[in-house]
Amino acid sequence: MVHARRGSIGRYYDVNGWLFVAPVLGLIGLFMIYPIVWSLWMSFQSGRGMMMKFAGFANIVRLWNDPVFIKALTNTMTYFVVQVPIMIVLALILASILNNPRIVGRGLFRTAIFLPCVTSLVAYSVLFKGMFAPDGVVNSTLATLGVISSPIPWLTHPFWAKVLVIIAITWRWTGYNMIFYLAALQNIDRSIYEVARIDGVPAWARFTHITIPLLKPVILFTTVISTIGTLQLFDEVYNLTEGRGGPSNATLTLSLYIYNLTFRFMPNFGYAATVSYVIVVLVALLAFFQFFAARERDK
Amino acid sequence: MTNGIGRAASALLTYGLLGLMAFLSVFPFLWMVLGATNSSIDIIKGRVLPGEFLSTNVDKFFTQVNAPLVFWNSAKIAILATVLTLAVSSLAGYGFEIFRSRHRERLYRAMLLTLMIPFAALMIPLFIMMGKAGLINTHIAVVLPTIGSAFVVFYFRQCTKAFPSELRDAAKVDGLKEWQIFLFIYVPVMRSTYAAAFIIVFMTAWNNYLWPLIVLQSNETKTITLVISSLASAYYPDYGVVMVGTVLATLPTLAVFFFMQRQFVQGMLGSVK
Amino acid sequence: MDNLARAYLPRIAGLALASVSFLAVTAAEAKEITIWCWDPNFNVAIMKEAGARYTKTHPDVTFNVVDFAKTDVEQKLQTGLASGTADALPDIVLIEDYGAQKYLQSFPGAFAPLSGTVDYSGFAPYKVEVMTVDGQVYGMPFDSGVTGLYYRKDYLEQAGFKPEDMQNLTWDRFIEIGQQVEEKTGKKMMGLDPNDAGLVRIIMQSAGQWYFDKDGKTNVTGNPALKAALETVGKIMSANIYKPAAGWSDWVGTFTSGDVATVVTGVWITGTVKAQPDQAGKWGVAPIPKLSIDGATQASNLGGSSWYVLESSAEKAEAIDFLNEIYGKDIDFYQKILQDRGAVGSLLAARGGAAYEQADPFFGGEKVWQNFSDWLAKVPSVNYGVFTNEADTAVTAQLPALTQGMPVDDVLKAIDAEVSAQIQ
Repeated sequence: MVHARRGSIGRYYDVNGWLFVAPVLGLIGLFMIYPIVWSLWMSFQSGRGMMMKFAGFANIVRLWNDPVFIKALTNTMTYFVVQVPIMIVLALILASILNNPRIVGRGLFRTAIFLPCVTSLVAYSVLFKGMFAPDGVVNSTLATLGVISSPIPWLTHPFWAKVLVIIAITWRWTGYNMIFYLAALQNIDRSIYEVARIDGVPAWARFTHITIPLLKPVILFTTVISTIGTLQLFDEVYNLTEGRGGPSNATLTLSLYIYNLTFRFMPNFGYAATVSYVIVVLVALLAFFQFFAARERDK
Repeated sequence: MTNGIGRAASALLTYGLLGLMAFLSVFPFLWMVLGATNSSIDIIKGRVLPGEFLSTNVDKFFTQVNAPLVFWNSAKIAILATVLTLAVSSLAGYGFEIFRSRHRERLYRAMLLTLMIPFAALMIPLFIMMGKAGLINTHIAVVLPTIGSAFVVFYFRQCTKAFPSELRDAAKVDGLKEWQIFLFIYVPVMRSTYAAAFIIVFMTAWNNYLWPLIVLQSNETKTITLVISSLASAYYPDYGVVMVGTVLATLPTLAVFFFMQRQFVQGMLGSVK
Repeated sequence: MDNLARAYLPRIAGLALASVSFLAVTAAEAKEITIWCWDPNFNVAIMKEAGARYTKTHPDVTFNVVDFAKTDVEQKLQTGLASGTADALPDIVLIEDYGAQKYLQSFPGAFAPLSGTVDYSGFAPYKVEVMTVDGQVYGMPFDSGVTGLYYRKDYLEQAGFKPEDMQNLTWDRFIEIGQQVEEKTGKKMMGLDPNDAGLVRIIMQSAGQWYFDKDGKTNVTGNPALKAALETVGKIMSANIYKPAAGWSDWVGTFTSGDVATVVTGVWITGTVKAQPDQAGKWGVAPIPKLSIDGATQASNLGGSSWYVLESSAEKAEAIDFLNEIYGKDIDFYQKILQDRGAVGSLLAARGGAAYEQADPFFGGEKVWQNFSDWLAKVPSVNYGVFTNEADTAVTAQLPALTQGMPVDDVLKAIDAEVSAQIQ
């Protein structure tokens, strides 16, 4: 972008530019930057409730010795490592199938698969909790189909509870990501696929060699967004486990731990602020690595 | 011959996968509607047939919940938040894209970094701010922190890349001021962008949970999402009533989606160009 | 526009002033007391009843009883106190006994001391103890969570047990009976939510111990009652005489649907048990089973809560007077809430009332209230401390390890490590 930075044109550009962006910057400054700086200041304090005093790096030291924090961190990373790839791959496959104009009823399929996105996080968590109840519809269906002989302890076994959370998030967000890929795919000239097909390139190779490279910017974008979402996971776990992150902290996430430190346990706002900064740092690192990985492969 | 079988198999696989995914996606909705017609115990026991408790559940819902007020609260918050977010974000998206400068470019990148801030880190300071401003238990306090959204600004900026510069040039020749160009040319041209953003922001605002949970203190200000959560976490939750609540809470977002589906997909197209 | 504004501004200002002074006058005349609590069939309904009684004699005071989910009440109270903004808080709030010390100690000055007004000698001592900090007593004791063993007479009879057989049980005997019940009737003995350490707390307190000792120090590894409680829960799990429940409502569903033969919990569950009219006459109530260690009793407590007045409340004086008049003195009120809601209050004098003497047809004519009242007097007093939530989370986290056969001493060590890291 070339433009004059001096003289009246430059100033004209500047004044108008600032006027257009000022409202948002003001709001973000007031309601995000100011509180997050305040939060940083709090993270160097410790104490009970309102009786806080300066504690230096004591909170950071405490992180290392806190098994619950380690557990919440591991859980959050597990969700991220397992759930995000499953969802992205599933969304990509569905998008590339639905991009084919010869599919009968593709509008219907697209709408159906996107539908979960209209539910609120609270509503679908409540729904899933009912569906995955010990005698609920999922277990009884699986039993009828002969898949299982005794009910799966979805909400009461540490492993299955994690699986349930992953199923729930995948249900809610796959369609959302799929729409992004579909939109991007429609910008790709279909004749590329036709040529490849005529040349005898099999469907799987067309997917890995044409679709994925062309969609890379969108995949990157959705991956970063999903990473941020997963690391901040709260509503689902809160409503599925009655705010506890159980059983035995198996579903506890960092955000839920922060919530517990603030509202359920003896309130220690300083330590809670420190844990919240762990999320900030993690998101920053992961986003950086994802951009870095995408750029490396470009070379 | 083998080719024919292969093709049939791949069609079976394709439609099998699509059908399964579509079924899994839609089933919870079906179950929710069926649930609204069943008693609490039947729901927990996994009954998937229509029951006879619809009118009982609906009656109970409307006696336990001041539904008109609750829905009015949700609608007011969602519409106010959406309109304001769209207004300031489209201004900014347009501003960042059209009037590029080195400083603003830096600020833009810094702004995108705010996407990483978890809400959990903001809630206590925000709550104290709202308390000092005397805004606790008001809908303004719910809406204010949600307006400035880096994500929506990003979206509008991406879409603005498709805004034809000839239109701007022509308008300038006609002597229109910058705000007039924005209001009378950009806004109408970018209709579908606005429509898509509307859907996303409206749904986020309608479904917002944690922040309203903290700020709204009385039953008179509660939103439908809060009501569902407290119905479900009540001492003795009646799942039939909860199901009626979730159906009613999902209807508006479902309606918005179906009425604006076309604009939505068009808008999405713009965002990833 | 300017002219218009100039012409109307004084008038608008006048109107605004007039309405402000009008509001001020009404505020002085009619005082509204806002109250937060959580159970619509229990404490909300009871508070409405209490408010109605007070308004009869004090027509200038009205009540706004707000019904939130319990977690919402706790979360809103904690945010409100943390932000230091009084206008976000109610005048009176209900706090569960386990959390009382946490609030009183973390937010000094936030709650109004009632020591001078209320005669605390008339209340159950353990209730008063949880609301005392540095000799000052805050709050008005409300319901008791005295525990009982609710059992289905019909299922137990099928398995060959009479009500007499249920009276003086040990936990080991309870498990044996459970195995026979399952053999004969196919029903599980009890519902158990592996995410809820409530049963551990009941058993532990029945032997006079808690996660913390009298000085508030962690009491986990050397706590015989906690060890025995964990062993008992472990035995129940390995004997597989329980129906797993996912969360509170699922747990309630285990007995309202008739899937289990017994319920061990606080007296406040009575209303829910009685809410199933088709089960009338089928239930009996016995004291809870006993541990086989020193200091073991058949009385314990689960939950229970009390009312607290916020120091910042504009209606503080009225709120205190209201609590003292109704909850501190009105014997008749306690009879009413017992009959209507199954609330066993902690005002000792209320137990002489007629309602406590009555036989309950739902429980086949047993004098259940008299029984609960007797057991209440025997509940061992413990110090809940300020970290019960943290300790409870740690216990819950280790319950699965227990069922997988980890030795109880190792489980205790793991709990101790987690609690120690949490309470800094």
